[in-house]
Amino acid sequence: MSDLFRTIRRNAPRYVPLLLMLAIFVLLISGCTTDTPQNTFAPEGEVARKQRDLFYLAMWPAIGVMILVLGGIVLMCLRFRERDPNSRPPKQIEGNTRLELTWTIAPAILLLIVGVPMVAMIWDLGRSPDANAYVIDVDAQRYSFSFSYPDIKDPSGQPLFLPAEPHIPTGRQVAFRLHSADVIHSFWIPRLGGKLDVVPNEDNVLWLVADKPDTFHGECAEYCGLDHATMKMIVHADSPEDFQKWVDEQQAQLNATPKPTPVRSATPAATPSPVAASASPAPTPTATPQATGG
Amino acid sequence: MATIAAPRTSPLAESLRNARQAAEHNPILSWFATVDHKRIGVLYGVSAFIFFCIGGCEALLMRAQLAGPNANVLTNDEFNRLFTMHGTTMVFLVVMPLSNAFFNLMVPLMIGSRDVAFPRLNAFSYWTFIAGALFLNASFFTRNIFSGDLGAPDGGWFGYAPLNLRAYTPGHGMDFWMLGIQILGIASLAGGFNFIVTILNMRAPGMTLFRMPVFIWMTLVTSFLIIFAMPVIAVALFELTFDRLFGANFFNPAAGANPLLWQHMFWLFGHPEVYILILPAFGIVSEILPVFARKPLFGYPFVVFSGIAIGFMSWGVWVHHMYTTGLGTVANSAFGISTILIAVPTGVKIFNWMGTLWGGSIRFKAPMMFAIGTVAMFTIGGLSGVLHSMVPSDYQQQDTYFVVAHFHYVLFGGAIFALFAGIYYWFPKFTGKFLNERLGHINFWLMLIGFNLTFFPMHISGLLGMPRRIYTYPSDYGWNLWNLLSSIGAFTIALSVLIFIINFLWSIRKGKPASADPWDGRTLEWTIPSPPPHYNFAEIPIVHSRDDFWHRKYQEDAQGNVVPVLAGAAHAPTLSGGDGHGADHDDHGGHGIHLPSPSFMPLIAALGFPFIATGLIYDYALVPVGVTLLVVGFYGWALEPAAEEEA
Amino acid sequence: MAVGSAHLETSTGIDNRKLAMWLFLGSECLFFGSLIAAYLLYRGHSLTGPYPEDLVDIPFTSVSAFILLMSSVSMVLALASIQKGNVRNMQIWLATTAILGAMFIAGQAYEFTEFHHEGLSLSANLYGTTFFVLTGFHGAHVTIGVLILLSLLTYSFRGGIQKQDSLKIELAGLYWHFVDIVWIIIFTLVYLIQPQ
Repeated sequence: MSDLFRTIRRNAPRYVPLLLMLAIFVLLISGCTTDTPQNTFAPEGEVARKQRDLFYLAMWPAIGVMILVLGGIVLMCLRFRERDPNSRPPKQIEGNTRLELTWTIAPAILLLIVGVPMVAMIWDLGRSPDANAYVIDVDAQRYSFSFSYPDIKDPSGQPLFLPAEPHIPTGRQVAFRLHSADVIHSFWIPRLGGKLDVVPNEDNVLWLVADKPDTFHGECAEYCGLDHATMKMIVHADSPEDFQKWVDEQQAQLNATPKPTPVRSATPAATPSPVAASASPAPTPTATPQATGG
Repeated sequence: MATIAAPRTSPLAESLRNARQAAEHNPILSWFATVDHKRIGVLYGVSAFIFFCIGGCEALLMRAQLAGPNANVLTNDEFNRLFTMHGTTMVFLVVMPLSNAFFNLMVPLMIGSRDVAFPRLNAFSYWTFIAGALFLNASFFTRNIFSGDLGAPDGGWFGYAPLNLRAYTPGHGMDFWMLGIQILGIASLAGGFNFIVTILNMRAPGMTLFRMPVFIWMTLVTSFLIIFAMPVIAVALFELTFDRLFGANFFNPAAGANPLLWQHMFWLFGHPEVYILILPAFGIVSEILPVFARKPLFGYPFVVFSGIAIGFMSWGVWVHHMYTTGLGTVANSAFGISTILIAVPTGVKIFNWMGTLWGGSIRFKAPMMFAIGTVAMFTIGGLSGVLHSMVPSDYQQQDTYFVVAHFHYVLFGGAIFALFAGIYYWFPKFTGKFLNERLGHINFWLMLIGFNLTFFPMHISGLLGMPRRIYTYPSDYGWNLWNLLSSIGAFTIALSVLIFIINFLWSIRKGKPASADPWDGRTLEWTIPSPPPHYNFAEIPIVHSRDDFWHRKYQEDAQGNVVPVLAGAAHAPTLSGGDGHGADHDDHGGHGIHLPSPSFMPLIAALGFPFIATGLIYDYALVPVGVTLLVVGFYGWALEPAAEEEA
Repeated sequence: MAVGSAHLETSTGIDNRKLAMWLFLGSECLFFGSLIAAYLLYRGHSLTGPYPEDLVDIPFTSVSAFILLMSSVSMVLALASIQKGNVRNMQIWLATTAILGAMFIAGQAYEFTEFHHEGLSLSANLYGTTFFVLTGFHGAHVTIGVLILLSLLTYSFRGGIQKQDSLKIELAGLYWHFVDIVWIIIFTLVYLIQPQ
């Protein structure tokens, strides 16, 4: 072993680039703690937090394995460097079955262990929204998201329509029913949770929870054409009281001026197409009664 | 059908024969008619490298635009077209054909054969590839490029439905894309059939399957993946063709279609495709590490079987590209587990490569540097792949720069590094000269640093919420620094490639001369002269063990030390006479070895495809022209004699 | 295509061309598999008519399926003839196979025309899209098969096919039987089993 360290010391200058890279990596990792609008390391809701925790659960072992393997490679390169070009070839080792079986089976078991919390979380986050979830219909079209509130209706029965900047209540599930008017988009508010695609003919539902009042940035995460890059949204999370106040304001406004609100896009949310119904084998609730709460 | 020998000579056959003979001796024409696997390999390699530079320039333009927030180097339209072409080019025009170049160059030499099973099919594969590649890139000119309008496809290399329909991507870019990939698929299929038959059927005596070099095994697995994956994308592209050009409804939501059909088909092809890109690289690394560690590959059977396991498992993981499409908990759980498990055979390979280094006597030549770089970088890519397999956390990473980082570690850090390793390793075999070692080291270190500088920060920008495929970003999202680093890294990579080009051009003329066996190799290609004669093996070798050539050179003495076999005793045993190519005579110096004649027919047939494709887009009148070329090519191919009669 | 490979030992003992043909057919399985999968996915999901039950004429298609099946029998007989060295009989059976194949194509052309008159087009609905593309690709395969058979027939009239060349007939036969089997699957899934 001491021989090994001597080798490393002697060769250190030759590996300055490697060490430099390592330093850069550390610097990079430390950059993740910043508080930026779409930082997935700074969750502000149940879904995003669970997803980050699962990521950590896999990330730390992965970084450990990375350091072991890369470090092992570097050490072997130092230790087993040929010193004399005329030296005899080393012992010709063909393999070691027991060792190889170990490094086949051990990672398989380790990975399956990590798989358990993963599957558990798929089912946890994949469950239908609670009965008291607040439902908002999201219409994605190139290149914007717009929002309708089925619980806030004008006198003619049209739901409240917001072309941008929706409000949501905190501390409670918000079920976004996703409808596409044209191509596939993806609905993503990083600090509240992972994304779900907005697929034509298939009305996916994504539920998220915001912990405390804040303003959240989100954007389309599936390439959808020319201005995909600017298909963004800002979501305002209000405390239950503030949210109720906002709802009342909107309701009062609708009652006062019964102007015709723009009709939601052509996608028939109420009549799921036979394709969508049959092609999604899993319980993706499509406008089911239990999803329309609050 | 292409095997019919002309029963009698007609004047037409006579003149065709004269033309072919003339072509054989013309320095330029001979390249168009060649059926020699080594020359086709060179054609494949050089073409793919040119496309590597083109695809790289596309990347540099994008990195220039993304170097800072709110930049104005490119417009949204240009950016979208460039990333579509960058992805398509790197997958179909660079990594696949560059791997194919090595299949062509190395497979016959490593299994002890004089050629591939179907030399003209091989030429057809190349010409179809180049026809498809040029056709695809011609799309740039379908709008007025001189006034700054790129006409290239703009639907992404994955071409998701329904964005790929005319309603959403008008213009001809996507037409060129779908037909271009269709043509390239034909080229890949032709190569796939050819290499499977060659490997299974044309091995030298004694070269049993489990004596084959690992590179040959990986070629075999890759070829099987190609012949089973390509038809799937072919059908998807045909369906898209019917939708775009003839008003069919495969992907039209208004007619009730399910847009996810495209994704299922694309990724059912696309995931095996990932392994089509990386398995040849695994093969190359598995050849280089033992030679420069001077030690056999650790656990050959495990490396081979893990490669086969990857081949099978690659068919059961495609939904991990679709976690966020809402397929439901059952599908996501099942594919999450299968994706986790595919890391096992991949990990086995990495551990076995490390086992090969352990106890070795490592020579740090340029090929070895790149090979070790491959192992290290692929490890990082593999681990971030495991992170991706964690379905719920992948909801956050899907379609972010974290994914971009992951697959560049796999496909650049894995495949491209290994392909560079292969170039440095086998260059002496085909030119009789070494690539410059000093420049090689500079090339390697610059590329390693540039590569990590480009792609490691992308992990961070992805986790900070930066989606892929955006041409601009605001300045207050915390992405600025990471993007700047990535852009600096990208230009560093470009510099290292430039150094490689200089090295290549200089070495090909003035490089240090290389002997037949310059690296103290272990496999059959090092038993023949550098560069190899056109008939490869004057006498077909007889193989007695894995790493046969090594065992001819070294043996263990009584103390268990590895010592050279006494000079003179190392003469290779060979098989005279029957050699897989019909040489009936003693063949010293290659006299009497019948080799297939050059032929223009593969080129003529391949030319038919771009005519048909252009005709479908612009004017049906061109379609019959293309069909005629195909028919003439195939019938000529079938009727011309494959080799000249002994004069 | 490999020079003189027919006379030489290969590592597996299987002729290069035959091995390649089997691989090609394996690849084709995935091709038709994908087309059939798309058909099944969209079965019964057309939003507008015409629907299959309005169009499909099972007795007619049964006859053309029977014709195609019979062509496989004549293909077997053609191969058996040349393996015995009987060029004359081989020519007769090859011609029979080609004619039966051509009759099948004619039947398909008639069927397509009829369906088109009834209002089913490529763009009419999902049924039209998947039906025409699936059966059309099969028809294209049969057409190419007929062309191969006719080419071999012409070639044999010039004396190009003798007993030792039976592999050429065998390869054409492999392809022909494959296309035939695919039709049995398509006939079952597209015609016989109708969505409720």
